[in-house]
Amino acid sequence: MRRYALGLGLVAVPLLLALGGPLLAGGPGPRGVSFTAGAGHWLGTDFAGRDVLRQVLLGGRPVVLVAVAATVLGYALALPLALAASLTGRTWVEELLLRPLDVLIAVPALLLVLLVATAAEPGPVGLAVLVGLTAVPDIARVAHAAAVAAASRPVVEALRLHGESWWRIAFGQVARTIRRTLAADAGTRLVGALYLVATAAFLGVGVRPDTADWAVMVDRNRAGLFLQPWAVVVPALLVAGLSTGTNLLFDTALARPRGRGPGAGRCGPGAAA
Amino acid sequence: MRTGGRRVSGPELAAVDGLRVRIGPRVLVDGVSLRVRAGRVTALVGPSGSGKTTTALALLGAYPEGARVSGTVSLAGAGGAPVGHVPQHPGTVLNPVRRAGVLLRDLARVHGGGPEAVRRALHDTELSEVEGLLRRYPHQLSGGQQQRLVLAQALLTGARVIVADEPTTGQDPAAARRLAALFRRLAARGTGLLLLSHDLDLVRESADEVVLLADGRAVRVGPPDEVLRVPARPVVPPARSAPAPAPVPAPTSGAAAPVRLDVTGLTARHPGGAVVLHEVGLSLRAGECLALTGRTGSGKTTLGRCLAGLHPRHEGTVLLDGEPLPRSVRQRGRRRLAAVQYVFQDARSAFADHRPVIDQVARAAVRLRGRTPSEAGAESAALLAALGLDPAKAARPPAGLSGGELQRASLARALIVGPAVLVCDEITAGLDADTRASILAHLADRRDRAGLALLFVSHDPAAVDALADRVATLADGRLHPASTAHPFGRQDTAPPG
Repeated sequence: MRRYALGLGLVAVPLLLALGGPLLAGGPGPRGVSFTAGAGHWLGTDFAGRDVLRQVLLGGRPVVLVAVAATVLGYALALPLALAASLTGRTWVEELLLRPLDVLIAVPALLLVLLVATAAEPGPVGLAVLVGLTAVPDIARVAHAAAVAAASRPVVEALRLHGESWWRIAFGQVARTIRRTLAADAGTRLVGALYLVATAAFLGVGVRPDTADWAVMVDRNRAGLFLQPWAVVVPALLVAGLSTGTNLLFDTALARPRGRGPGAGRCGPGAAA
Repeated sequence: MRTGGRRVSGPELAAVDGLRVRIGPRVLVDGVSLRVRAGRVTALVGPSGSGKTTTALALLGAYPEGARVSGTVSLAGAGGAPVGHVPQHPGTVLNPVRRAGVLLRDLARVHGGGPEAVRRALHDTELSEVEGLLRRYPHQLSGGQQQRLVLAQALLTGARVIVADEPTTGQDPAAARRLAALFRRLAARGTGLLLLSHDLDLVRESADEVVLLADGRAVRVGPPDEVLRVPARPVVPPARSAPAPAPVPAPTSGAAAPVRLDVTGLTARHPGGAVVLHEVGLSLRAGECLALTGRTGSGKTTLGRCLAGLHPRHEGTVLLDGEPLPRSVRQRGRRRLAAVQYVFQDARSAFADHRPVIDQVARAAVRLRGRTPSEAGAESAALLAALGLDPAKAARPPAGLSGGELQRASLARALIVGPAVLVCDEITAGLDADTRASILAHLADRRDRAGLALLFVSHDPAAVDALADRVATLADGRLHPASTAHPFGRQDTAPPG
């Protein structure tokens, strides 16, 4: 359990703030002077003279929820696609499933988000869907590359010979075999989604400029960085802590147990004792 | 077989004294001592699960996870001479994305040798005459070549002790004999070899000293002639005993029994387009066993896989009970899946590593015979017990079972669906005599009582002799009738077609 402590600590603070923060925030106090410290404001005031602590408590939910929802959506779409492609055994079906995604992969995700945002105001749900969709080609590619090897193992042939259902083969065996790769990918994917959501907010897509949002806070309070750093540093640290902690957690949970099981080949020649 | 006049023992290269390895309450190795000497071949023999692999890996400094170890393992020389390891499946330790030449040259450089060292290692392992070997990737080499490549790597590291795990697995008798000679020559150069093998012919031909293990203890130590002088007993009960009272009318081999499987003009290709099988034809009657022999790479496995629907890149017709059998396993419905079953050569890789083995066996009956999980569980426990595998042991995931135990479970998983045709791919390779006998006896019984039609791919002459009604040989992708090409000198009729 101790090896989880660092990652858990890093994730817990931003996550709890994001989920529970709005409950603790209380009502808006009177506005003060912009970019001041003290005077009843623990973390000072922001560019509009609002209490930074309250903004921090309120500002996590949109970023975190949108990023997590986008990642989950991306996986929900891409994983079945990748598994289907790797298990089909027919080259043309595989091409049909994956080639169109290769075209999409060439379009920068941020560009797509900005384009759609100009055409229509997306809102948080729309933003999550948009960010999730832009992740699909990348996820599908990584998952497919890993699944192809896993799907050609004798155990998959044995399952087919014994009439196992597609779902059990795909999710019970192939997806399970590649779970380490998927988890590592999911970690970076979540960070990517966080940054994309934050960048979109930073550029004013999907949120109003005075919204309580960690990413918007970083952007709007930049001007006062040297007068009152907390309005920038605290939200920036929270975003960084969430992404770093997530990756650490995935790494720890999936670290291979040390030693060797019987049967598996250990080492090549010259394994000096 | 060589008799007497064993080599004078050379200096001691490695010593294991009073090795005891246990995991929780299970004792894997219980006080084993052995010596590896320069110029000598020591063989560790014993049934599956007797602790051979654990003992040998101790020489490499590797122990199973969570093991408690006592006793000493010492290696000669300052810091210990390096120990080379040739695993049972040598492909697993060769980097798949590097060519053989690069693999060898890199090692030579690290260990201060140049092209001359590589040439010497290739010469010593008899790889120098293989054309274009250095440009090939490991997957383009045969199993025997991979094995010798791993040996060459071991020699390049200056290993003086080499541990070889079941080196003759899946090799034909001629290749096994060449391997025994290679081991002798390596020993003559001053290397100490430790062989782990069920292949008693290999042990007799190459070993100077044999350590017989049973339940983790060394029960006999000495020259092979003494240790292996076992009372002669048949590998299986006589192939055709008097027809036992059977629930179905006992089918007699010959013209009376119906033709189950009829194959004509089967031509199979590799993904690159290379033809593996040319116009193969055979037919198999109910209650009949056709043994398929041939050298490594002759296409035996591919033929078996074509029939099982695992190699759809083939042309020709395969009729099951007169109906065409779909090429791919995906197009076969439950009835046909159950009718034609296939037992994989490498049992470990055919089981999912996270589920208890017995559940995986039972699952086949649930899917293909519509049994409820509890019925299937009881049925698989009974079948596993009949094959000599304790159902309690089978409740572990595959990592907790030995290779021989998994082979039995693998066979049980194919038999539990009640196949009409069973394709067995080298299922006796790497098994000890007792396990082999019980598996063969069970198959013979199924064949005689239930009319199971068997296609038995094997290098194992004793198993073929015991089980087969007819023998056919594959060479260069063509099937040769047995009467002219029978490798083991039995009188048989040629397969039609």
